[in-house]
Amino acid sequence: MISRRLEDWITERYDVEGLHRVLRAKYVPSHRYEASYFTGGLTLFLFVIQFLTGMGLALYYVPHSEYAYKSIVDITAKLNMGWFFRSLHHWGAQLAIASLFIHFFTNLLLKAYRKPRELIWITGFIMITVLIFFGLSGYFLIWDQRAFTAIRVATGGAGNLPLIGGPIKIFLRGGIDVTQETLTRFYAFHVSILPMISLIIIGLHVLLVQVHGMSVPISQKDKQGKPQPFFPNVFYKDLIIWLLGIGVLATLAVIFPAPIGAKADPMAPAPENIKPEWYFLFLFQTLRLFPGQIAGLNGETIAITVISLAVLFVFLVPFVDKRSSAGKPSPVYTYVGVFYLVYFVAMTVIGFLD
Amino acid sequence: MVRSSFILGIVLFLITALFNYAEPAPADLAGSPYHRHIIYQALILFWIGIIGLIVIIVMKLRETKRIQDMDVHKDAEDAPFLD
Repeated sequence: MISRRLEDWITERYDVEGLHRVLRAKYVPSHRYEASYFTGGLTLFLFVIQFLTGMGLALYYVPHSEYAYKSIVDITAKLNMGWFFRSLHHWGAQLAIASLFIHFFTNLLLKAYRKPRELIWITGFIMITVLIFFGLSGYFLIWDQRAFTAIRVATGGAGNLPLIGGPIKIFLRGGIDVTQETLTRFYAFHVSILPMISLIIIGLHVLLVQVHGMSVPISQKDKQGKPQPFFPNVFYKDLIIWLLGIGVLATLAVIFPAPIGAKADPMAPAPENIKPEWYFLFLFQTLRLFPGQIAGLNGETIAITVISLAVLFVFLVPFVDKRSSAGKPSPVYTYVGVFYLVYFVAMTVIGFLD
Repeated sequence: MVRSSFILGIVLFLITALFNYAEPAPADLAGSPYHRHIIYQALILFWIGIIGLIVIIVMKLRETKRIQDMDVHKDAEDAPFLD
């Protein structure tokens, strides 16, 4: 009775039937690569989990260099189910980044970036940057020795960019070295600035996907099956993927609880054999390929410039790949995509095993 | 199929309880009020729940597709109510 009255109250004021019509009218193409459509939904789902677990952790975390580490230990050891929420947040970040990379590479190889979806590609690309910075800033909040050294190295690396490197390094650190100021800034980025930017960018990305519809690979244009209704068919499939995702996440969180090292000591030497998080390993390995000096110039600066240009090329690929935009096959860009994928995977594996 | 999955789940549940009972908590969970065996049991129950939900969703999806293939998913506007 109450639910009926509530339903009447809403339908009198809002066009609920119109929303139903929109949902019923939304169809998703059916072809042999349709599994790629679920990678975006999974990333979004993991992002929501990050928001929820992050809100819980933020209730107990203290963003001060004296108390940050202790608050993490207290969350892990004293708080009821605190270790589990922290592990969910830790593994959720890893899975979200992995899922986003899979989403990125499938769309790169299937040329989903081509006209008229350039803005979808650009917003997605910005989200990768935002998510990686989310990971970096969150990693630092633990305030253990590994995180402290990693941030010193990462912000120092950013400082090697020509011209803009110095100001970026000072901006990120909030000073010359990694200190309490850096922690304050990274905390602000992690819990306030980046979530706000992500909400805007994700909202725009999802809205643009609704406007343009799902991209169909050029090779599948003439081989499509009957389109499937988004609701309920594709939505049910999304639900299955999300359930599996949360199952894997909970399993990882339970079997491999989030680690924590010794408290950060700014005066202590860097730990031996320190490695960055897995999504930075390909950059780390690339930097190691370059010698210290090349023709009298700083090798690291040259390496970071080369990496930045390679990233910029992918960012601008919708505007460079003219054949795809014209609806013609462009095998050269498929090879380029495969090269990027193989390079990323190979360097990550080598960095992991090294 | 569902019945055998259920029995397998129960067996796994009991085996886990047997092997993990009264073992000390891992170092990372020191101080946690939950012991290892309870955590792993809860994880198995969680997976049983997930698999159950997936089975229900797949059944629902098949039923939806069957009705859609019959082309009777659209409500006839002049269909009489059978009160």
